[in-house]
Amino acid sequence: MIKVNNLVKKFDKKTVLDDLSFEVADGETLAVVGFSGSGKSTVLKIICNLLTQDSGTVYTSEGDVAMVFQYSALFDSLNVFDNIAFALTERPDIKKKYSKSELCEIVSQKLKLVGLSGIEDKYPSELSGGMQKRVSFARAIVTEPKTILYDEPTAGLDPISSTLIEDYIVRLKEETHASSIVVTHQMSTITRTADRVLMIYKGKKVFEGTPEEMLNYGNEYTKQFVTASLHGPMQMLAE
Amino acid sequence: MIDIRKTFKTTATYYLIRLFRSQVQDFFTNLGEVSIMSVLTIINLFKGKIKWKEVIYQCYRFGVTSLPITLSIVGMTSVIVATQVASEMVKQGGENFVGMMITMLIIREAGIIMSGFAIISMIGSSLASEVATMRVTEQIDAISVLKVDPIRYLFVPRVLSGMLMMPLIWVLSSLIGVLAGSFASNLASGLSYRAYFDSVWYGIRIYDINVNLLKAVVYGFTIALICCTFGYNAKGGAKGVGIATTKAVVWSFVALVILDMIFAVSFFF
Repeated sequence: MIKVNNLVKKFDKKTVLDDLSFEVADGETLAVVGFSGSGKSTVLKIICNLLTQDSGTVYTSEGDVAMVFQYSALFDSLNVFDNIAFALTERPDIKKKYSKSELCEIVSQKLKLVGLSGIEDKYPSELSGGMQKRVSFARAIVTEPKTILYDEPTAGLDPISSTLIEDYIVRLKEETHASSIVVTHQMSTITRTADRVLMIYKGKKVFEGTPEEMLNYGNEYTKQFVTASLHGPMQMLAE
Repeated sequence: MIDIRKTFKTTATYYLIRLFRSQVQDFFTNLGEVSIMSVLTIINLFKGKIKWKEVIYQCYRFGVTSLPITLSIVGMTSVIVATQVASEMVKQGGENFVGMMITMLIIREAGIIMSGFAIISMIGSSLASEVATMRVTEQIDAISVLKVDPIRYLFVPRVLSGMLMMPLIWVLSSLIGVLAGSFASNLASGLSYRAYFDSVWYGIRIYDINVNLLKAVVYGFTIALICCTFGYNAKGGAKGVGIATTKAVVWSFVALVILDMIFAVSFFF
C-alpha cells in the first residue's frame, strides 16, 4: 500500500506539488498523468526517497520500493547479469551471501519473467531500448519489492514495444502483487495497465477515477487531456 | 521621475556585482560539497566493506594507464631544467652539485606536482565525466533506489586507488626524472655520469622521502575526491557533464598547488 498525505514540494520559489494526497491499495496500479513539469516524477522521487518533501507524509508497505527509470538507468559498465544481481551482491543490509549458482538461478528466473532469457553476458549498449527497459524491470523486482514505481515506462518506444512493456507491467503486478504507480502520458498505458488514474496539474490533484471515467471525459481537465486539445483549463504554453 | 534603483539595475556595475556574488556563492557551495564528501568518504573508508576487486581495477586505471604520460612529463621537466641549469653550474664550478640540485628538485617538487597535474588531466577528468554521466543518466539514482550507498560504491574504490597509486607513481616518476637529468646534463654540459650520480645522494634525504610519500597519499585522495564530487553533483545533460569535468579539473589543479604550499611551509620552512 502507498499512502501520500498533503505532500508539498517546492523548488526555489516554484511549488511543484501542492497539498497532494492519494492512496494505492495492495496489488493496485495507479496511473499518474499530467502535463510535462506538472510534478509527476517528483512524486515518484519522493516516494523512493530520492527527494525529500517540504511537508506532508508518505507511507509505503514494509518491504522494498523499486523504481523503473524513464531511460532504464542500467549501469553501462556492468553486464546484464551484474545489473540484475546488483542489489543482491552490493546491498549491505542483505545479509545472505548468495553463491554464484544461486545468483545465476535468480537472474535467469527474472529474465525469463520479462521474456529475455540468455542475455546475461550482454552489456546495456548491446540491447535495444525495449530490451533495456525489460532488463530494468528485472533489476527492479529482484528483491521482491512491495512497491514498484514506473517513470514513463513506454517513453521513446515504438507502439509494439510499448504494448509489450505494458503487458509486462500487468504481468509483474500479477506475479508480485505489489502496489504500483505508473507515470505516463500514453493513453494505451493508462487503459491497459492502470486500475485507477490520478491527474495532476500545477502540483494539485485535478482528477481521480477509473480509466473508463477518464476516457468518458470525467471533467474538463481529463476531457482536454484525452482529446489533446489546446483549449481548456490547462494552459501549458502560456506558462 | 527617474527610479534610481531601476536605472542602476541596467548598469554594467550591477551585472558585475551580481556576477561576483554568484561566483562567491558558487565557490563556497563547491567547497562545502567537497568537504562533506571528504568526511563521508573517510567514514566509509574505515567503516564500510571495501570492494577490493573494484579497487584493483581503479588502481590499474589510476596508476598503470597514466604511467606513460606521467613518466614522460616528469622526465621532460627534468631534461628542461637540467639543460638550462647544468651548463651554467659547470661554468661556475658547481659541477659537483648538479645531480644534487636536480634530485632535490625532482624528489621534493617536480616529480610529485607534475605527476599530479598529469593525473588530473588524464585520470581526474575521466573520473569526473564518468561519475557525472552516471548522475545525468540516473544511474546514481538507481544505485540509491537499490539501497546501495553511492559513496561506498563509487567514491571509496576510486579514492582508495588514488591514495595507493599516487606514491608509486611519484617513486617511478622521480626515478625517471633523476635519470633523465643525468642524460640531459651530460649532453648539455659534458658533465660525467659519475660526477652527476656522486652528488645525487646528497639530494636524497629520508625526511624528504617520508614527507613526499605522505604528500602523494594526500594528493591521490584529493584528486579522486574532488573529481568524484564534481561528477556526483553534476546537473543537466551533456552540458552538465562538461561543466562538472571542467570544474573538477580546475579545482584539482588549484587544490594541488594550495596543498603543495601548505606542505612546503609545514615541512620545509
